[in-house]
Amino acid sequence: MTFAIEMTGVTKRFGAVVANRNVSFGVRQGEIHALVGENGAGKTTLMNVLFGLVQPDEGTIRINGQTVVMDSPRRAIALGLGMVHQHFKLVPSLTVAENIFLGMEIVRGGLIDRKAQSEKTRQISAEFGLKVDPDRRVSELSVGIEQRVEILKVLARGAKIVILDEPTAVLTPQESRELFRILRRFADAGMTVIFISHHLSEVMEVSDTVTVLRDGAVVGTRPTRELNEDELVRMMVGRNVNFDRRPRKAISGRTVIELKEICARDARGVLALRDVNLTVRSGEIVGIVGVDGNGQTELAEVIAGLRAPSHGEIAVNGITIAESHPRAMREAGLAHVPADRLARGVDASASISANILMGRQYAQPWAGRGLIRWGRVREFARGLIKRFDIRARNEKTLVKTLSGGNMQKVVVAREFSRETPFLLVDQPTRGVDIGAMERIHDEIMLKRDQGAAILLISVQIDEVLALADRILVMFAGRISGEVDPEKTTEDEIGLLMAGGAERPRAAA
Amino acid sequence: MTLPSDNKPAPDALKTQGMPQWAEQLIGQAIAVGISIIGGAVIILLVGESPLHVFATLLRGAFGSWERTAGSLLQATPIIIAGVAACVALRGGLFNIGVEGQLYMGGFAAAWVGFSFALPAGLHVLVAMAAAIVAGALWIALPAFFRARFGTNEVVSTILSNYVAVLITSYLTISVFKRPGGWSETEPIAPTAYLPQISDVSRLNIGLFIGIALAIGLHLFLTRTSAGYSVSAMGTNVKFAEYGGVSIRRNILVILLCSGAVGGLAGGVETLGVHHRFMEGFAPGFGFDGVIAALLANGSPIGVIGTALFFGALRAGSLLMEVETNASREVITVFQAFIILCVSAQILIRRRRDSTQGERRWKF
Ligand SMILES: Nc1ncnc2c1ncn2[C@@H]1O[C@H](COP(=O)(O)OP(=O)(O)OP(=O)(O)O)[C@@H](O)[C@H]1O
Ligand SMILES: [Mg+2]
Repeated sequence: MTFAIEMTGVTKRFGAVVANRNVSFGVRQGEIHALVGENGAGKTTLMNVLFGLVQPDEGTIRINGQTVVMDSPRRAIALGLGMVHQHFKLVPSLTVAENIFLGMEIVRGGLIDRKAQSEKTRQISAEFGLKVDPDRRVSELSVGIEQRVEILKVLARGAKIVILDEPTAVLTPQESRELFRILRRFADAGMTVIFISHHLSEVMEVSDTVTVLRDGAVVGTRPTRELNEDELVRMMVGRNVNFDRRPRKAISGRTVIELKEICARDARGVLALRDVNLTVRSGEIVGIVGVDGNGQTELAEVIAGLRAPSHGEIAVNGITIAESHPRAMREAGLAHVPADRLARGVDASASISANILMGRQYAQPWAGRGLIRWGRVREFARGLIKRFDIRARNEKTLVKTLSGGNMQKVVVAREFSRETPFLLVDQPTRGVDIGAMERIHDEIMLKRDQGAAILLISVQIDEVLALADRILVMFAGRISGEVDPEKTTEDEIGLLMAGGAERPRAAA
Repeated sequence: MTLPSDNKPAPDALKTQGMPQWAEQLIGQAIAVGISIIGGAVIILLVGESPLHVFATLLRGAFGSWERTAGSLLQATPIIIAGVAACVALRGGLFNIGVEGQLYMGGFAAAWVGFSFALPAGLHVLVAMAAAIVAGALWIALPAFFRARFGTNEVVSTILSNYVAVLITSYLTISVFKRPGGWSETEPIAPTAYLPQISDVSRLNIGLFIGIALAIGLHLFLTRTSAGYSVSAMGTNVKFAEYGGVSIRRNILVILLCSGAVGGLAGGVETLGVHHRFMEGFAPGFGFDGVIAALLANGSPIGVIGTALFFGALRAGSLLMEVETNASREVITVFQAFIILCVSAQILIRRRRDSTQGERRWKF
């Protein structure tokens, strides 16, 4: 077996932070290699070095035995590499097809042949089982669909070595399964796959080899079949971790939020929500599941005040919200973890404390008489950094220098530290490691036990199953069914997600 | 000019760990100026002059004596205020390219109060400045309203409003308020409306301190106050600000009105402090220089003091340069154009680099 990739002695420092510490990492040709580790372990950085996005301070890279200087992504692409980034790099103002063919446009008579591009996109979309609409603008897509586009874009380029940085963070289990089926097919045909994931069951299932990073250094590279999940966790965090399912104690009280016959249009003006009725009571977690693109995004936006419903009304604590505006919803008591942290959840160029301040900038004790009390804000932020285990040097660290999972923790920390009666959490554990996932789940349960009404939207069905008191399934803009998490199975939910009585279209 | 959403000025207010980036930016600006000097030197060589001689004369003209230094400060005064006006908008993620027009309207309004009313000293100058502020705000009101209400691009509407302002004030000066027997200028304003001078050697007046105070005030507003935090957040990620409960539309209106108000004040200070009347073309390009000074300072009001002083010195120095060398004032224009090019290039490079660090999405 030859090594498709060999990285030797790679060290990368960002100021005082050592993101990669003398990392040596080899991937055999034709294998599926999983790269795992806690948030901030240095996975993305290592892959960015491999892809020429980041220049290492030390170390060498060999591709198919040849030493190369990866000075730019262009070089990496020329050498047959492709990368699906943790934070997507799509052009929002272009359509899906235009993004996929960006830089390799189909040209006819000197002009871009849009029709051919759309047609081709439809083809590969069907071939890879990742459903997208070629002619929609990326700015109108939900994160799950953006993820599909990002993956298709790389697969369509016929890369020989594919790097996928958390490709399944916002995919449903079915979509993930389908993706890995395709990757396996490609690997069998000689393609080399590296993927990063925090879903260890997935890692165990599909990878041939696992490399574990901790604090920037390699803990070990092992064949997957010699490992079990517990060992993997121990390698990642350096100790044993116990997960147990917490007891359910559903004592729901009065209705906190109520949606009545809500209809809403998506960015193109197409009806995306049809007569949605929904109530969340105090002390209960209502889970929403569905294949991305079935109205969950619009539902979240309507509740957050970011999208005006075309019909119907929303009431919080029995009072109808007159104006659809985030501020109105915030004032009515909403805390909101948005699905797309980078686009909406943070100001990446600002510090952690400045991000924690959002929504509190007028409130005691963080502000008074029009002035911000930065001392208190920092102190508060330090507390949250500890409580949510955000891996950052201090509260002044700029959010854009955090790893993806740690950015997510900043958003979760800010929203969960509000004393609000109602939480809307959309993919709350997107990209966080198992430890952080547990912590966030604990926080959700704690909020519920304190009497908050929680609406949980997630593509991770097991997450919803573990947390929710009631589960609503969305399909084609409607609530297509309600199930009891105690009595249902993932299969039943999968069937409902695919349209209930219809033939299950797991791949769609 | 770059597209409105293109330029995301650095959010000093939200950036507590600013030192390295701050230094990096300063180096960037220095490189921009350096390249511009080389470019300028080439142009000077082309017109058959010695660059060294021209630059030396420029420097002497700007800082050669106390009078000349005062002259540079005098030129810098309206640019600082206009620059602050542009910063107000920039930091909220908006573009006010109409500072020039607001400056003209403000200048005229101040002069009108100055020559039309008899008020006690002290009060008179305050009322005249208030008139300038109101005129500036009114002049941006329409673009501001359309931007807030319908999302109409404020770049285009504010640019267009410039021409109208220059022509209207020109018309008013020549046809309505012309001083009999004078040039195209109004009656002089009453001395009660004069801005106090700093010394008698030049017309340098307390407008300079007003400008510096405004810049510091804006800086403190953005970094220390609740409202300033909301504005900064809009400037760096408007979707985040909206999500966090900031009233975007209302703020757009308020930010642009404030920006226009400060722009008007720049004109008021110029008429009340320097000319003591309104003259057609009394402040050519000060508003535009202010916008460029703000861009060069990357939206930082403190930085604007520096960049505006630089532009003021260029203007003052070019007077002597024209007298003593064969280089014309246009060399300065070319020089400034080089700076604009370099700064735009920097913004592009920075954006490209950011987008390859996997931390930021493409922004169009
Ligand atoms: N541009 C940067 N400037 C400063 N520090 C950085 C930068 N990029 C990454 N880091 C730091 O390097 C470390 C590794 O980050 P990296 O993004 O590689 O983690 P990761 O393993 O991908 O984590 P996650 O699972 O959360 O995505 C983190 O401590 C992070 O804060
Ligand atoms: Mg990462």
